[in-house]
Amino acid sequence: MLNIHNLTVASGSRELVKGINLEIAPGEWLALAGESGSGKSLTAASIGGLLPKELKLSGTISWNGSTLTSLSPSLRRKTLGKEISYIFQDYQGAFTPFITIGKQLDELLRAHTDLERQRRKNMCIDALDNVNLPGGRVYTSYPFQLSGGQLQRAAIASALLLNPGLLIADEPTTALDSLTAQKVLKYIAKAKERLNLSVLWITHDLRHVRKFADRVAVMRKGEIVEQGAKDQVLNSPAHAYTSRLLAAIPPLSPNGPRRLGQLSKNSLQREEGALL
Amino acid sequence: MRSIIAAGQPSGRHLFKKQAVWPAGLVLLVLVIVMISPALAPQDPYRLIVSDRLQPPGAGHFLGTDHLGRDLFSRMIAGIRATIGTSLLILTFSMLIGVTIGLLSGYLGGLYDRVFKRIIDAFMTLPDYIFAIVLSGLLGPGLINLLFAVIAVKWVGYARLVRSVVLQEKEKDYVALAILGGVTPLRIVMKHMLPHTLGNVFVLAALDLGKIILMIASLSYIGLGPQPPAAEWGSMLNEGRVYFNTAPHLMLAPGLAIMITVLLANLLGDKLRDQFDVKTRKEA
Repeated sequence: MLNIHNLTVASGSRELVKGINLEIAPGEWLALAGESGSGKSLTAASIGGLLPKELKLSGTISWNGSTLTSLSPSLRRKTLGKEISYIFQDYQGAFTPFITIGKQLDELLRAHTDLERQRRKNMCIDALDNVNLPGGRVYTSYPFQLSGGQLQRAAIASALLLNPGLLIADEPTTALDSLTAQKVLKYIAKAKERLNLSVLWITHDLRHVRKFADRVAVMRKGEIVEQGAKDQVLNSPAHAYTSRLLAAIPPLSPNGPRRLGQLSKNSLQREEGALL
Repeated sequence: MRSIIAAGQPSGRHLFKKQAVWPAGLVLLVLVIVMISPALAPQDPYRLIVSDRLQPPGAGHFLGTDHLGRDLFSRMIAGIRATIGTSLLILTFSMLIGVTIGLLSGYLGGLYDRVFKRIIDAFMTLPDYIFAIVLSGLLGPGLINLLFAVIAVKWVGYARLVRSVVLQEKEKDYVALAILGGVTPLRIVMKHMLPHTLGNVFVLAALDLGKIILMIASLSYIGLGPQPPAAEWGSMLNEGRVYFNTAPHLMLAPGLAIMITVLLANLLGDKLRDQFDVKTRKEA
């Protein structure tokens, strides 16, 4: 269970994340949506302690009762490495370019387990097989020998290797085409079922949210403007900003619903007013 | 796509590609020559035969003899070790010190980085020849002191280079993932950071080799290097200076040797730079 209470991230006197509260239950998939610069990624980075040193964090983040924000860096690393894992948008950067995928997966196992070499290798290959990659071959491959989709799947394999409780996926599909993106999300969904994994999914693309997420939180200018069950938020958004986000989804068919038309002019103006 | 990605990675792997074989071979050859050079000398480079002094190049003495009647060719060969051997030693230590400080400074960041960066900046502002001359002057003449003086000048370049590469690389996601994954900082630095810097470091080293050889020869020429009767190309140039009108071969031989060696070192450097630097390499 992930608990974020009153999380604030500030750069000098400017608050980039303004006292947000979030909860993710075991086995729950939460989509954190919002436009670029809304503070989604900072929230994700706060959980892992990945914020740049210049940014100041306050509030508490706890995982299964232990408060991550008060742990020492090394203890935090131990908890995080096994329990919480990440997938990032930039799959090119997910692996060190000159080390084989296998060695990099092995490194994680070595850091957290005492298993012997052959056993570790089998685990790595299994993890790669699980995301439908030819495990034996990918194990000895260098990152540049894989395609984007394959790399992102290998990144998922790496993230799931230690059977974590929480997966933080920071826009994992933004750099992928929509078919590959769909596949990547399916693998995460599969792992979620298998491991009863909690997922924090940072996204600005609401198209996939309907299909994969359980709950949605919408973030804007450092605040969570709306959160709730997927259907509630997507079908009857309470906040004008959510409506605008939804309206920004391009319709798939030329006769598809143009949600922008459904928005009253008033609500948009109110929104602009709030902005100023 | 693949080749572009591969070409964009300044990684250590390129070292072992085919094009790099001949420069690497050349370095090996030089090392071997430096090692066995004393055995190659046809005569004792230190034996004085005053009656034979200032002989022109000929049958008995391939390059003639110097003002004390010593065989010049043998002294040239003995000088290989003093000049090139010392340069390689300086290069190795400069790289070791510079790379270590660069890695620490770049990866640790914060206060460490500020301190190291100030030190690096301070060293960068000193004109290298003058600093080396002052330093070896203070330490006193001799090969070992010369070594210290030149290392003190040369490590900075490596530290700065490595620091900038590490600063760039440590922002990448894979470092964050490795940290999150519980990989120890030492391992991250050695396995994930160091190899990124090696390509650049080797190019700088190869380009530096020529400069170091010149610096050693220059410092020896003004008397700060190995002391007589030791054979070193720079000091041999100085010894020959007095007899330049009557026996020009005394200056020509070490002069040409220095020139050719520096030329070769620079060629090697250019070759390596083409190898590692994506910008100057033509895409196939």
